[in-house]
Amino acid sequence: MRFLGISFVSFVLTSVVVANAYYQKKQFYPSVVYITKSNPSMAVLYIQAFIGVWILGKLMRKIFFGQLRTTEFEHLMERSWYAITETCLAFTVFRDDFTPKFVALFTLLLFLKSFHWLAEDRVDYMERSPVISWVFHVRILSLLLLLGALDMHFILHACQSTMSKGASVQLVFGFEYAVLITVVLNIGIKYALHSVDLNSETPWDNKAVFLLYTELVMGFIKVILYIAFVAIMVRIYTLPLFAFRPMYYTIRNFKKAFSDVILSRRAIHNMNTLYPDATPEELQAADNVCIICREEMVTASKKLPCNHIFHTSCLRSWFQRQQTCPTCRLNILRSPAPTAPTNNNIPAAQPQAAAAPPPNPVPNPYFNVFAAPGPNPFNQFNQANGEMPPQTPPPTPQGAAQPQAGSVPGQAPPPLILPPFPFPIPFMVPPPVPPANLGVLTDEELRQLEGNERRNIQARIQCLINIQTMLDAAVQMMQQYNVVTMHKLQPTTSSSSSNTEVPQESQTSESEAAATSSEDANREPARDKTNEPVINSMSESDVPSSTTPEEELRRRRLQRFLQAEQQQQPN
Amino acid sequence: MAGSALRRLMAEYKQLTLNPPEGIIAGPINEENFFEWEALITGPEGTCFEGGVFPAKLTFPPDYPLSPPKMQFTCDIFHPNIYSDGRVCISILHAPGDDPMGYESSAERWSPVQSVEKILLSVISMLAEPNDESGANVDAAKMWREDRNQFNEIAEKLVRKTLGIP
Ligand SMILES: [Zn+2]
Ligand SMILES: [Zn+2]
Repeated sequence: MRFLGISFVSFVLTSVVVANAYYQKKQFYPSVVYITKSNPSMAVLYIQAFIGVWILGKLMRKIFFGQLRTTEFEHLMERSWYAITETCLAFTVFRDDFTPKFVALFTLLLFLKSFHWLAEDRVDYMERSPVISWVFHVRILSLLLLLGALDMHFILHACQSTMSKGASVQLVFGFEYAVLITVVLNIGIKYALHSVDLNSETPWDNKAVFLLYTELVMGFIKVILYIAFVAIMVRIYTLPLFAFRPMYYTIRNFKKAFSDVILSRRAIHNMNTLYPDATPEELQAADNVCIICREEMVTASKKLPCNHIFHTSCLRSWFQRQQTCPTCRLNILRSPAPTAPTNNNIPAAQPQAAAAPPPNPVPNPYFNVFAAPGPNPFNQFNQANGEMPPQTPPPTPQGAAQPQAGSVPGQAPPPLILPPFPFPIPFMVPPPVPPANLGVLTDEELRQLEGNERRNIQARIQCLINIQTMLDAAVQMMQQYNVVTMHKLQPTTSSSSSNTEVPQESQTSESEAAATSSEDANREPARDKTNEPVINSMSESDVPSSTTPEEELRRRRLQRFLQAEQQQQPN
Repeated sequence: MAGSALRRLMAEYKQLTLNPPEGIIAGPINEENFFEWEALITGPEGTCFEGGVFPAKLTFPPDYPLSPPKMQFTCDIFHPNIYSDGRVCISILHAPGDDPMGYESSAERWSPVQSVEKILLSVISMLAEPNDESGANVDAAKMWREDRNQFNEIAEKLVRKTLGIP
């Protein structure tokens, strides 16, 4: 509304000026001379010209963009503000050629620049909107062609002028339009990529990579342009301060594009070499939805050491940002791949320890856990029960950790604690114990020892985790035992049920993520829904006898949890 | 095929409309642009914000869900973890790299596992239990610690304001 008023006033003023000139001079040519000689008349005409440009801009915006979105408008305002300040700075360098024509050229440059920015925003918007009409395509394509042609024209013009008349302000224009034409190219490539993606039936995984490389190449060209421009300007005029801010941003963007490409390459490399493809069975076993994109995994998926599965492409883009598992935040770089490294390291560590001074002068805390005088609860139970489950070999002090971990059949990673490295740790030989006197060792040996120490600590943590799993299993079995004795069932049934029960138990506790062994009693009903009828009848008859309000509450909680889980599965 | 960020946002929107969690309404302001959402959050029961309906704006980055969205309340709100301009400062909205307050462990930070629903639920629990260690609004944090009555009074006034009651 205000703008309409201003343009109307300006139009009236212009008419008055022209009419006045014509009234005084009566002829065309003298009136033109009269107007150009009179400063106030010229001022009015300049304002009119400016408003004319403004109206043209609005018109073009309507044609090529329609209604601007708020963010686009804010973006435009912000960038225009910087561009205007820079133009003013440029005026100080070229104050000698300060003419109306010069101002007009700069205005035109700003005018065209703003359309480049808008086109850039609009093409980025393609990724954000589910509805892209054919009008959109027509608009963007014609705008890109128009802008490209104009940029080319001005570059050629600047070249010719510089060739024929020597260096002048045209140098700045030539350079500015060269930068703009890279922008047009960049937008064009992005537009093409987005269009291809929009028209394809399946998600296009490699688009991100293409975009990354486009960004890199365009950034490189721009950096070269800026450096060349500054070099030329310094030689002919002075330091072009007005080019510094855009140059800084260009270099920064290029640096970012460069590191993005490197990170992406590293991520791809890691994924191809370190992590196995998920097999169809594994996909079936998991709930089959990639947590990153919330879509089903049917094709290319990778399994991380923590057993979490994702789309290869989703994982790749995530690894560009962070090298952790999106679900459990396991640091991927710090933990070795499931099989190879741990296996190789331990035998290698053995000769090291042998080379070091007398074996085991210090008691190994890790052994003490297992060599403790009393038999562990797990065994105690088995002996008390009179029946040894076939999977449980008697623990030996040397290989304690290994068979114990294996004694819980079909073991998934232990509940709650995130293992520092993948679970079934091939841990045959206990880690060597450090020698008492470190002074004896050479630097090299110390360094190797340090490496071993780290592994030892990891091994101890792993060992503690195993113990926890084992204790959970023991409590579980004790409980089975209670159930069995309470119902005076035959011992054979009890042992078979305990064998089948344990793995399910570990799964339940894993998913509930709140497993403490004290809660085991309340997990009975949970199992009812999923398991064999034998236990079903057993525990169902068991439950009412031991119901307390607290347990009732827990059972309800568990039911809700199960319902939630069932609801999730169909999705 | 649309971009992956767009597809995921559409999936989340669908999920939220099919299974709306209690006290939360959220969706794109304009269905042509799925990267700007509006959410209405009900003040949790039994707190000083009870009964209020607080509108907020969620802005998603082009690489969502790899980067977290930004959330800003569009009404007046006085809370230790909300800047005076309405921006919400909770750990779930921060990528593990940046830690403006230096108090968050990376376990509660943004990761693609999180979702709009989880963010909004965290915001509700933040309304119920402010974290006065993060001083997004230092005045509010101080008042929350030292003069709870006055804090409740202000909150109540804001609740009435969101409901259009003077
Ligand atoms: Zn995915
Ligand atoms: Zn994981």
